[in-house]
Amino acid sequence: MKQPRFPAVLFGLTLVFLLGPFVVILLSSFSADSIMRFPPSGFSLEWYQKVFNIRMFRTTFWISLKTGLAATFTALALGVPVAYALVRYSFRGKTALEVFFSSPAIVPGLVIGFSLLRFFIFVTKVPIGMGLYFGHTAILFPYAVRVVSASLRNFDPAVEEAAVSLGSTRLHTFFAVVVPNVRSGLVAAFILAFITSFNNVPISLFLTGPGVATLPIQMLVYMEYYFDPTISALSSIIIVFTILIVQGAERALGITNYL
Amino acid sequence: MAFVELAGITAGYVRDNPVLKGFHLEVGKGELLSLLGPSGCGKTTTLRTIAGFIIAQAGTVMIGGKDVTTVPPNKRNIGLVFQNYALFPHLTVFENVAYGLKRRKVERPEIRRRVADVLEMVSLTGLERRLPAQLSGGQRQRVALARSIVIEPDLLLLDEPLSNLDAKLRDEMRAELSRLQHQLNITMIYVTHDQIEALSLSSKIVVMNGGDIEQIGTPEEIYENPATPFVARFMGFDNRLVGTVTASSDSGVVVRSGESEFNCCRTRGEGLQTGDEVYLFFRPRDAVFSLEATENTLPVTVNYTNYHGSTTLYAASSGDQSIAVVMPGKPTDLSSYTKVHIPADRLIVERRPNHE
Amino acid sequence: MNQLNLKRTLTLLILPGAIFLLLFFLVPLLFVFAESFRDAEGALTLARYGEVLSDRQFRHVYLRTLKIALIVTPLAVLLGYPSAYVIVRLPVGRKSLLMSLVILPLMTSPVARTFAWIVVLGRFGIVNETLRALRLVQEPARLLYTEGAIVVGLLQLFLPIMVLTLVSALENVQDDVEEAALSLGSSRLGSFFRVLVPLSYDGLIMGVTLVFTGCITAYVTPAILGGTKVLTLATLMRLESLVLMNWEAGTVIAVVMIVTTLVLYNGLRIYRPRNL
Repeated sequence: MKQPRFPAVLFGLTLVFLLGPFVVILLSSFSADSIMRFPPSGFSLEWYQKVFNIRMFRTTFWISLKTGLAATFTALALGVPVAYALVRYSFRGKTALEVFFSSPAIVPGLVIGFSLLRFFIFVTKVPIGMGLYFGHTAILFPYAVRVVSASLRNFDPAVEEAAVSLGSTRLHTFFAVVVPNVRSGLVAAFILAFITSFNNVPISLFLTGPGVATLPIQMLVYMEYYFDPTISALSSIIIVFTILIVQGAERALGITNYL
Repeated sequence: MAFVELAGITAGYVRDNPVLKGFHLEVGKGELLSLLGPSGCGKTTTLRTIAGFIIAQAGTVMIGGKDVTTVPPNKRNIGLVFQNYALFPHLTVFENVAYGLKRRKVERPEIRRRVADVLEMVSLTGLERRLPAQLSGGQRQRVALARSIVIEPDLLLLDEPLSNLDAKLRDEMRAELSRLQHQLNITMIYVTHDQIEALSLSSKIVVMNGGDIEQIGTPEEIYENPATPFVARFMGFDNRLVGTVTASSDSGVVVRSGESEFNCCRTRGEGLQTGDEVYLFFRPRDAVFSLEATENTLPVTVNYTNYHGSTTLYAASSGDQSIAVVMPGKPTDLSSYTKVHIPADRLIVERRPNHE
Repeated sequence: MNQLNLKRTLTLLILPGAIFLLLFFLVPLLFVFAESFRDAEGALTLARYGEVLSDRQFRHVYLRTLKIALIVTPLAVLLGYPSAYVIVRLPVGRKSLLMSLVILPLMTSPVARTFAWIVVLGRFGIVNETLRALRLVQEPARLLYTEGAIVVGLLQLFLPIMVLTLVSALENVQDDVEEAALSLGSSRLGSFFRVLVPLSYDGLIMGVTLVFTGCITAYVTPAILGGTKVLTLATLMRLESLVLMNWEAGTVIAVVMIVTTLVLYNGLRIYRPRNL
């Protein structure tokens, strides 16, 4: 159908609004000024150098990476069986369970982080890194369940029955027949969950402390003390990586269909 | 003794509301038995109970003299062919067919030999490396068939295997199935809602309705002598007249419907007596427009005609009852014909159920 | 599958995940909820609520948070509908590309995304420099640390969510419905309001719910663009608990936030005729 002009123009402006700031920050990261000024007075790579020289950024990057990977794997390991049960079987209390498993996405992250902190203090002896890992796993759960459910729903259960009738056990069928066919859903869930963990602030805000912080928290701390384009440079790196991942995942998996 | 025997089976998807209640069925060795009926009649539930995907709440399932009631489906050695083929999308044709053999730990050279044999049997040689997505509907159905017979199952179950194919392919696959059945002499249970499929393939047909068996018989028995109004409607006795028995003898009954009287030699419902309320069933093809006939005729007015190519359907009414008549050839002006004749042996009389 | 087997299978599949979420999600929430009704000695009390809810600053911040959500949500609808309308009409390839661009603000680190607005709205940022170049202002206008800055930042974050829900709602509307309306003499605008909007109504309500509740609970955007000058519920909660170490107040704000969210979430459900 022909695109009417008025909505198309509005959509164009919307895109400028959504993406314009990213262009601005990219440009400002190459600035030669030490205050945030636009347009910059000259070109330099100074801020990128600085990003890599600040040890806290390196340390917290690794913490974010490790936490993200561990939480994503755990959420998938626990969430995929749940998704399978919710899609393939009907039983009493199913709707309640669906609500329960999606609720970490509905309850505000800040409240979850706060509660976990209060709870861990009460229980005592939960090491701060562990608390971070548990909290991140909890909020990734809905992603794992929802995304994997969506791709399981598109997979004909008769194919599983065919495998069983040919002599497979249910478990063997799951790994030999189901997993290869919902692979793109699993990968999409992994990417979405990892990005969510890597970007998370509200949970990490409460579950980090001296020595253990994630990259976004460290960036917030840095911004409180310094106001130079270092954050621009670091943000630019993150933005470029995000663009690459999202574009790649969209080409390979159609990730926007899973959101 | 029967090869497959269901005894007192109560089974379904919801515990409190089973589809089958105390269901019995026997299938002889080498038979091709069709379970025929509309959707929701319990035919698929029966099939899935035999396959082991539904465990009966009560009753026993025997296959080859062994009680398999609680044996899981992967241990039953039953071949299963699904309506939508259910091929493994990520495996090639060869791997699809070899799947069951691998699960049975058959040696690789043997797998290659048997897969090649069965693919030749279903004329798919040369397509081994294709993925299901690269095959046509007919080819997919052949792969599904090959996959289920290569394991040399004790029993082959087919769940509406042809319903996703177009008409021409359906005829072809029907002939192929028939040939395979004779070649392999395997016991098959075939679920369908298409009476032509059931009639042309089966050695025995079981007509089901509401979880119960309406009639069991050879295709000919079912087609010619439907035992119940339901089977009659299902077998194409589409016309139904309401009437009253006015006389009865050993050779048949006389039924009055409107102003017409009909001699009927085929009655259902034991011991019909004068005064009983009945239905008269006949097929649209069995009625003829007539000028001469004086008995077994119904006064009609033709309302419209519907050209079908080799035949023409005439929609007519008689009083407040409407009937359909199918005649060979193109539509002709029948305005001078005001009667249709239905031969006595083409009419079926059924007692009208009280609640109707 | 028989009943016993089914039960065992379901238990094996669901129990590990359920225990995890119980332990690291539900129990802590209930713990905090219970804590909010207890005084230092552990006796039941509503004193903490009384203290926080009667506080003038709290009420001011709470109303401001609602006000911001009430501004952002309609703006997201206004810009989201045309965008979704355009996107669903695109051929598959271009649609996928544009969708992946639209979701970028959602996928990018919120700190990086929000920091970009500092560059745009700052004292020497692109907006102020442009205004000065056009001689519209003498002195740089204060754009950062205002409610307006928060609105802009939240709109960038939540507009993609609105577009996503509207796109999936409009995708379920058959292509020819609009053509049918046009062929029956409706104008494009008329068919939009009389046909497309009602048919994507559920998606709209879902989008409104997500955006509205999102605005109330968002933290990073108001933290960076509002700072401690323009507090919202989220930044106030962090200030009370992590900076002022006033855990009692933090607890009450947490409960207020979750209650507000759940009330909105379920309240807006009334307008959702079908279950979404």
